[in-house]
Amino acid sequence: MNSRAWYRQLSWTIVFAWAGLVVIGLIAIYSSTHGPAAEYLPEQMTRNFQKQVIFGSVGVLGAVVILNLRMRFFQAIAYPAYLVTLVLLLVTAAIGREINGAKGWLPLPGGFSIQTAEFAKVATLLAVAALLSNRRPGSNNLRYGIAATVLLLIPAAIVIGPQNDTGTGLVFLGLIPIMLFWSELPLNVLALMMAPALAGYFAIVSLPVALAVSLVLSAGMWIATKDRLLTGLAVAFTFGVVAVAGVAVSQLQPHQRARIEAFTNPEAEEFRSGVGYHQVQAKAAIGSGGLTGKGFMHGSQTQGAYIPEQSTDFVFTIIGEEFGFLGGMTLLVLYGLLLTRLVRLGVQMRHPFGSMLAAGTAGIFLIHLFVNIGMVTGLLPVIGIPLPFVSYGGAALMANTLMLAISLSLHLHRDDVTGSLGY
Amino acid sequence: MDEYRVRAGIFISLILVVLGVLAGRLAWLQIFNAETYSTEAANNATRDIYVRPPRGAIFDRNGALMVSNAPTYALSVNPRYFARSPHDPKAYDTTRVRLLADRLGVPDSSVWSALATAETRNRDAYTRVFPNLSFETFSRIEEERFRLPGVEVETQQSRRYLSEARASHVLGYVREISPRLLDRYYDDGYRRGDLIGINGVERNYESYLRGKLGMSFRLVNARGLDIGPANGGRDDSPPVSGYDLTLTLDAPLQAFAESLFVGKRGGAVAIDPQTGEILSLVSYPDYDLSIFSQKVDGATWRYLNESPTKPMFNRATQSMQPPGSTWKPFMALMALQEGTLKTEEKIFCPGYHPLGGGRMFRCMHRDGAIEVVTAIQRSCNTFFFELMYRTDVNTYQRYAHMFGFGERALSDVSEQTPGLIPDSSYFNRMFGKTGWGAGTTINLGIGQGNMGATPFELARYMGIVAARGHKPTSHLIRNLRNAETGETIVPTLPAPSDLPIKDEYFDLVRLGMRRVMEAGTGRSLQIPGIPSGGKTGTAQAPGVARKDNSVFIMFAPYDNPRIAIAVQVENAGFGAAAAGPIATLMAERYLTGTITPARRALVSRVMAVKSQPLPNEEVAPPPRETAPRGGRDSVARDDAPAALPRPTAPLRRDTARR
Repeated sequence: MNSRAWYRQLSWTIVFAWAGLVVIGLIAIYSSTHGPAAEYLPEQMTRNFQKQVIFGSVGVLGAVVILNLRMRFFQAIAYPAYLVTLVLLLVTAAIGREINGAKGWLPLPGGFSIQTAEFAKVATLLAVAALLSNRRPGSNNLRYGIAATVLLLIPAAIVIGPQNDTGTGLVFLGLIPIMLFWSELPLNVLALMMAPALAGYFAIVSLPVALAVSLVLSAGMWIATKDRLLTGLAVAFTFGVVAVAGVAVSQLQPHQRARIEAFTNPEAEEFRSGVGYHQVQAKAAIGSGGLTGKGFMHGSQTQGAYIPEQSTDFVFTIIGEEFGFLGGMTLLVLYGLLLTRLVRLGVQMRHPFGSMLAAGTAGIFLIHLFVNIGMVTGLLPVIGIPLPFVSYGGAALMANTLMLAISLSLHLHRDDVTGSLGY
Repeated sequence: MDEYRVRAGIFISLILVVLGVLAGRLAWLQIFNAETYSTEAANNATRDIYVRPPRGAIFDRNGALMVSNAPTYALSVNPRYFARSPHDPKAYDTTRVRLLADRLGVPDSSVWSALATAETRNRDAYTRVFPNLSFETFSRIEEERFRLPGVEVETQQSRRYLSEARASHVLGYVREISPRLLDRYYDDGYRRGDLIGINGVERNYESYLRGKLGMSFRLVNARGLDIGPANGGRDDSPPVSGYDLTLTLDAPLQAFAESLFVGKRGGAVAIDPQTGEILSLVSYPDYDLSIFSQKVDGATWRYLNESPTKPMFNRATQSMQPPGSTWKPFMALMALQEGTLKTEEKIFCPGYHPLGGGRMFRCMHRDGAIEVVTAIQRSCNTFFFELMYRTDVNTYQRYAHMFGFGERALSDVSEQTPGLIPDSSYFNRMFGKTGWGAGTTINLGIGQGNMGATPFELARYMGIVAARGHKPTSHLIRNLRNAETGETIVPTLPAPSDLPIKDEYFDLVRLGMRRVMEAGTGRSLQIPGIPSGGKTGTAQAPGVARKDNSVFIMFAPYDNPRIAIAVQVENAGFGAAAAGPIATLMAERYLTGTITPARRALVSRVMAVKSQPLPNEEVAPPPRETAPRGGRDSVARDDAPAALPRPTAPLRRDTARR
């Protein structure tokens, strides 16, 4: 048995970072619902702050319960939970409520509705971790890799397809290389997997840049491996994707092309008030915040509700405008603490299940963080995805808190876990 | 487990790279480009509102309110907020257009075209499209405020004229600033929609009357609704209200004088000879200043600018006419001071001046040998021909300027056109060096010939005579008072001067003028109980076959004069027929506050006198009409009336009759 007290084992850095992020989120939400703009707010948004406090408290209660559970419990529920959430996802896709074009909310009795995909993330992560931790050393990497990929692709397909929620789907897809990477897949194979995504991204932004990136990736592969097959694949994946993307873009319908052009140049006169509206407004809000921001409840863009979804997906615009660069950096530092600490927990946990979970959790947060802040600052196209712990949204806050709590719990009990189950 | 550590290192590096990229992006937006985005955000969310101060009120000398402000309402629209959706900014929401049209009480098409107008100006800003709304319309719009984003109603001040006296030419009118003037005065703080004084006191004291424009910066939300002060209201500046003016004008006197001028063309000026305060300044025909509070319709505008009666022309200060016999007291003063006439000296009048062989320079009667007092009393032409005969024209010009003739007075009367006082260079230019002589200039002695004076000049001259050479600066403003701070400004006037003419000469001339009133041409005009001095003038009017101008100057009371008046009525005959009654009635009204019953008949008699109509004179000015509520925005016509031409008076050499 571990002789040290539990509170000395718990990673307080993570708890502190979690609390900091939640508080920043609450401040931002409060500003959007209690500022001068409040009286013009749609009815259903006026109680966002109170609701988020309640969701946070429920999440804390859940976390306390989870901290008292052991690894065998999580292993036991991993696959059943995965199956249940898959069913829920399908049900949601069939009868769910549509918000902003995404059919991701399952109505519950009592007027609530819940975004099932948030919980699907946790269950899928548990399942993938369970799967990959079963691998015996020396066994066939590729078979496990394919199995894990399939586990992640199924929810991704449901979410992107019937639910029409690209953002959440991206998280499942983005988790594939991260989980495979953590499960010791060769790096060059990973690089090969990443190459088409990178090439595709740049193909949309700028064709010359995409060609240059493709060249660098292919050449890098040759220099690193001297393997003709891998290099050939790299060339095919990168230049192929660029070619396909180039042709696809030329074949797009005008309104689809407008979306892409709006992303690459949202400030253009024809897009400012149309498809580029979100990004123009978001950048104006964040940029105008300057170094120290305009002050709590004093952001003109925030209080004027210029940015749609400003307390959910675009919550960062409030922080950027009212608290400036310093506020944004505080947020990034908290995320940095949280993520790096999670990865270190993953290393400390000798059991692969816990390690997988911690790394996967860090991966999920990292994808959210990058896509969300990248989107609001105009680095990435507008993809609906919340900022973990900060954005308004009960399901996301609770699911993310639970996910974090599982890693903390596994880390807390890492010694007695190995002991009691006799691996 | 080492493998984990390597991979953890890579993972952590990835995390730091992602955070680094995001931090870099933030720095790019918030530190290096903060200014760009601040501008963008401000354009988006801040609305600049001009808070107009009330324009200063205008009071008469006794504190009676003459001009104040009446609020009207102007509606602006911002087409951006009329869009059905942000994706299709040009398709306007029909129901909202209908609602606005309904509230305004105009057809839908008016609102559509208003939006089109606003769109051509600036699709993302407010453009004033419905000015001059009534309070009722304003209230109807306010009721639906929340259903009408993109609609703003601002309060506008317009002038309200409360006095029975019109005093059009003294007060002047105000208009919304024209684009041309706005260009010129933008740096002085003028903004679109501001009022600006175009003439008269309103223009002369514009900088005091207008106050200081306040600014209010308001946050508007995405729907265009006001959500509170921008930047906590720290950048706002309150409006500073304008100074109230107290005029030297006596409103009851002014109103009375205006009523006496009905049917005539001419001008009258009354001055306090001790202080130089202008008690009344009438130019007739005049015009209704409140015409300019609204859009001026074409017929009214044409009447004001093209009627031969020139209602906007300030006859009191700009109309140069020969003064006729009212000039004679001046001639006497000049000759006495120059020594060309001794106080007791008699000049023989055979009924003409010998210079013209008895034909050209005639007197109305054979006065025999008379001295100066009698000459004034009887208005003997021969006497004053002789005085001019003894004087060279440059001395004449020097004295005339001493009295303020032929030059702009240092005064706050803005529209002045000095009369003509010739000197030798003038005649050289006109007739050549050898082309003129005593026969050319002798007419000047009786206020005819190549000369002219305005009623304003004559009144100042009369004031100097009344006060025995004391020459104060004539002015229109007593003081300026800021109603908010209580600060009072009394304009510093140029110090009064005294003319280098001996008092005894003034006494002789004044005595002559008193005799005019008691036993001369003015005896029917005496104010009961108040001795006064006066002089009639019946001046050859410019033009072919025109009736004479009726001119009269006077001061009263005789011993301690409190009012000096000059009246000029065009084409109305003898001096005692029109100008005389007007002047003495004004003096009586001012000094006693009433008109004695015995003289009431004189009032109706003088009101019945008409100026001989001008050729091509369209008689009836268009009736006043009330501008329709909520008409389309009218771009103001050119504010200032076109420069009024100096009347080209073909001044002929001819005899004057008294």
